Amino acid sequence: MNRPIIDMKGIFKRFYIGTPNELEILHGLDISVPEGQFVSIVGASGSGKSTLMNIVGALDRQTEGKYVLDGIDVSKLDDTELSGIRNKKIGFVFQTFNLISRTSALKNVELPMLYAGVPAKERTKRAKELLEIVEMTDRASHMPNELSGGQKQRIAIARAMANDPAIILADEPTGALDSKTGRLVMDLFHKLHKEKGKTIVLITHNPELAEETDRIITLSDGRIISDRMTDKEAAE
Amino acid sequence: MNLIENIKLAFASLKSNKMRALLTMLGIIIGVSSVIMINTLGSIMENSVTDTFDSQGGSNLIGFQITMKKDAARDYLMPDDFISEEMIESVEQRFADDINVVSVMYGSENGTTRHKRETLDLVIYGVSPGYIKQSMTEVIAGRYINDKDIRKGGKVCAISNKQAIKLYGSVKDAIGQTLSIKMYGSMYDFTVVGVYEYRMTGMMSAMVNAMGEDWNNEVYIPYTTLSEMYGETDPTFYYFYVHINDGVDAESFASDVKNYMNNRYYRNNDSIEIFYQTAEAQMSMMSQVLGVVSMVISVIAGISLVVGGIGVMNIMLVSVTERTREIGVRKALGAPNSAIRSQFIIESIIICLIGGLIGIIFGVLLGNLIGIIVGTMASPSVGAILLAVSFSMAIGIFFGYYPANRAAKLDPIEALRYE
Ligand SMILES: Nc1ncnc2c1ncn2[C@@H]1O[C@H](COP(=O)(O)OP(=O)(O)OP(=O)(O)O)[C@@H](O)[C@H]1O
Ligand SMILES: [Mg+2]
Repeated sequence: MNRPIIDMKGIFKRFYIGTPNELEILHGLDISVPEGQFVSIVGASGSGKSTLMNIVGALDRQTEGKYVLDGIDVSKLDDTELSGIRNKKIGFVFQTFNLISRTSALKNVELPMLYAGVPAKERTKRAKELLEIVEMTDRASHMPNELSGGQKQRIAIARAMANDPAIILADEPTGALDSKTGRLVMDLFHKLHKEKGKTIVLITHNPELAEETDRIITLSDGRIISDRMTDKEAAE
Repeated sequence: MNLIENIKLAFASLKSNKMRALLTMLGIIIGVSSVIMINTLGSIMENSVTDTFDSQGGSNLIGFQITMKKDAARDYLMPDDFISEEMIESVEQRFADDINVVSVMYGSENGTTRHKRETLDLVIYGVSPGYIKQSMTEVIAGRYINDKDIRKGGKVCAISNKQAIKLYGSVKDAIGQTLSIKMYGSMYDFTVVGVYEYRMTGMMSAMVNAMGEDWNNEVYIPYTTLSEMYGETDPTFYYFYVHINDGVDAESFASDVKNYMNNRYYRNNDSIEIFYQTAEAQMSMMSQVLGVVSMVISVIAGISLVVGGIGVMNIMLVSVTERTREIGVRKALGAPNSAIRSQFIIESIIICLIGGLIGIIFGVLLGNLIGIIVGTMASPSVGAILLAVSFSMAIGIFFGYYPANRAAKLDPIEALRYE
């Protein structure tokens, strides 16, 4: 096994801390994901999947516990360093795509590189390559409102790949798509996993899609109730 | 995140909401254009005031005139109240060392002359030789009215260059010609001894040019000649002017003359005395008025700039709220707070700068519109433009900072969840 790229120990998340309605959502999770693994996280609505994902993606901080991302202890970083981590180590894919409106597909893909300080020429060159990978070259100059849901999600995946991140985090990326389009998006993740060796964490409500990944972590009320390798992985 | 990208972004965002952007800019546009307009007008006025001042003899010119005493017994004038030639002569003798020249204008009269079946209107002024010093004119051919003309009551006159050309073809040809003037139904023949030209710049010359013929139809004749026509053998005056020599203190000279005349001639007058006004005093009154006017307009402009700035702040707050989700996405993609902050501050600066530039254009146009009316084109000073530009930028930064900072401090997760 490769070294862990996500290494979490005793992660707690509480809201309304210090008030009478203090709420504990995650109750001490231990998760370790090795480099190159395709993990899916499943569980009922409200079980804390997105809350966990936000911590993994350095958008949020755990209340308690230790999280080492690609060898960096995230809890020790300030806001600016965290944004640097999100920029270079993480690629987010959202259920609602979240492309920047009135900004072309190409410019959307360039955005993370802009914040990374990549020179304009290089940015455009790489963005074009990424659009080619997601087979959206012919839509480069289109605005988000001229694209279908599936097309938007493919642009979003290209954007997530922009700075060649260590991890791609996808929170229900097929949730807003029909099954056929969802299939295409899923195939894209498999492609990135196999061909680029990306570590991917996928949140999904679809058990069949989860079975396609290497490993399934099941959450219930902020606790891991199951963490298993899939048959596919076992077979290999 | 570099500046050019931020500027492009700001323009894209403004383009998507042109009407709103324009309305937001309105306060800035009004504020800046009034500042620029005031500046343009201010320089037109100031120039013309100092021009007039200088061309009339500057601070060496003092006017003396009769005025009602505070405890006047009458409210009408009697023949003895007026300033006589004798009084002026005694002042001239008594203060000979200080006086350069004394000038009087006895009166003016309308007249006409015939030229090629045309009747031309004239205004005839009865003046002393010194009058040229304050009439903003200059003799360009021949001579002005002189002392001999005054003594003799000669029928001589000085006409304007425009009249000379119109009546006699050229300035030179006018000298020695006879000008027949009809006054009170009788004809008088005057010999043209001189041709004058207005020497003015700025607003004054613009006004003269705008009035054209009407101003250039002034004919100067000896005041003794005019008084004789009236049948008055001893001409008297309502006022007279003194041009003092360089280096003489205008204020103390003026009060000495006033006291001298009041003691000697008006002590027993129950209602009338002499009072004086130095050009300096007139000038400072003018500049005071100008100063107050531009102060008032500047305050209005300042208020509208502040109101405009608050408008910009308001719109920026709306814009931040509208784009909360976008801000969340940008943060998720790795934008540091500073990048978000500068994005919105630059947007705010761009709004204010565009507003400022439109304001400058409007201000210059308005100022020049008024300039065209008075006949002089004027442009605002480079300093005023730089001031307007930097002031707009400062407003953009000042009123954009709070909304931008609010955007920068948004929690990324909450921003992403924003509906
Ligand atoms: N900022 C917050 N303040 C208070 N409670 C929160 C906050 N964020 C999440 N929660 C609570 O945490 C719990 C878990 O939410 P989370 O979004 O992680 O669920 P989820 O597993 O992603 O659900 P879904 O499948 O519907 O997306 C929910 O009960 C939610 O109300
Ligand atoms: Mg969720």
